[in-house]
Amino acid sequence: MNVDGEQPAQKKLKNKQRVMLLSSRGITHRMRHLMNDLEVLLPHVKKDSKLDSKNHLHLLPELADLNNCNNALYFEARRHEDLYLWAAKTPNGPSVKMHVQNVHTMDELKMTGNCLKGSRGLVSFDKGFDETEWGRLVKELFTHIFGVPPTARKAKPFVDHILTFSLLDSKIWFRNFQIVEKDPLQPNGPPQTSLIEIGPRFVLTPIRIFEGAFSGATVYSNPEFVSPAAVRSLQRREKGGKYNSRKD
Amino acid sequence: DDAVPQQKLEIDNQVALERIRQTIQLDPSLPWTETLALTYPEKIEVDVDDDLNRELAFYKQALHSAQAAQKLAAKHNFPFTRPSDYFAEMVKSDAHMERIRQRLLNESAGIKKSE
Repeated sequence: MNVDGEQPAQKKLKNKQRVMLLSSRGITHRMRHLMNDLEVLLPHVKKDSKLDSKNHLHLLPELADLNNCNNALYFEARRHEDLYLWAAKTPNGPSVKMHVQNVHTMDELKMTGNCLKGSRGLVSFDKGFDETEWGRLVKELFTHIFGVPPTARKAKPFVDHILTFSLLDSKIWFRNFQIVEKDPLQPNGPPQTSLIEIGPRFVLTPIRIFEGAFSGATVYSNPEFVSPAAVRSLQRREKGGKYNSRKD
Repeated sequence: DDAVPQQKLEIDNQVALERIRQTIQLDPSLPWTETLALTYPEKIEVDVDDDLNRELAFYKQALHSAQAAQKLAAKHNFPFTRPSDYFAEMVKSDAHMERIRQRLLNESAGIKKSE
């Protein structure tokens, strides 16, 4: 307690971020594994139980507040096959809704890397993010959510992995690599940095950006986005059309 | 008889996007060690369907950023490399890593057999 009311001359600036992670009901095991992977990689994440209703997203900012979180990642499963990810700043927004595709979790045996549980990952963005206004906003938001602050309780002191976000085909591609600083074949040789993939992998298609947290006016919408249900329905119609033309 | 495909309404409110970004922006005087965020100075421009080159581009991005981070860490006096005697829980369990190793061994054995 500062009795004489004197303020410390220079307050040390800190990056204070905490992220609430939760999902809707009806997620499949694959989606759940992806969520667990993110939880394990981000020590400043607080996981909450599944949200009961898909229509009451306005509850989420309150829930984040109860958990002392100022960010939220919400996985929304639809029809037991489509996965959407909401990334939001709570309580005042903005929030981004994205479609998650090409999910590979860390359980897959093809990715041979490993890293400390709770080590702070580097976060890398490619230059593509800086070229559009929505890209810059997403970059800022992801820096908050995926950049582990040094004050995170479970964070470990060394850096041994890197999260990369790359913009390609107007989608955001996520990869996670282990940073290896020694050549295993030449343990005494000069340090040579190489990378081994740890996983998970996924691709995010931004759909909309809202001004508020899970609410508010749309400030960006992706004109190229076609909902996965529409794609499937088109495929089915084509199949049906084949039979009709054969019958005639 | 096909209906004209309806053009979806595109919203791209640049002014609002910039304003929102400025309200949430972290203090620019924050030292790098607080966020560990890096920007790769190149754009990823490869064929999306070319898996090999695409992954290579991502790898290059990550490698470039990792090397930049090592330099930045040295500048900020920030512990980067884990000492070889520092042990702690890993993301993947020993059992899981053993399964990965076994799979690699099986694969190389299979290749040898077919030769």
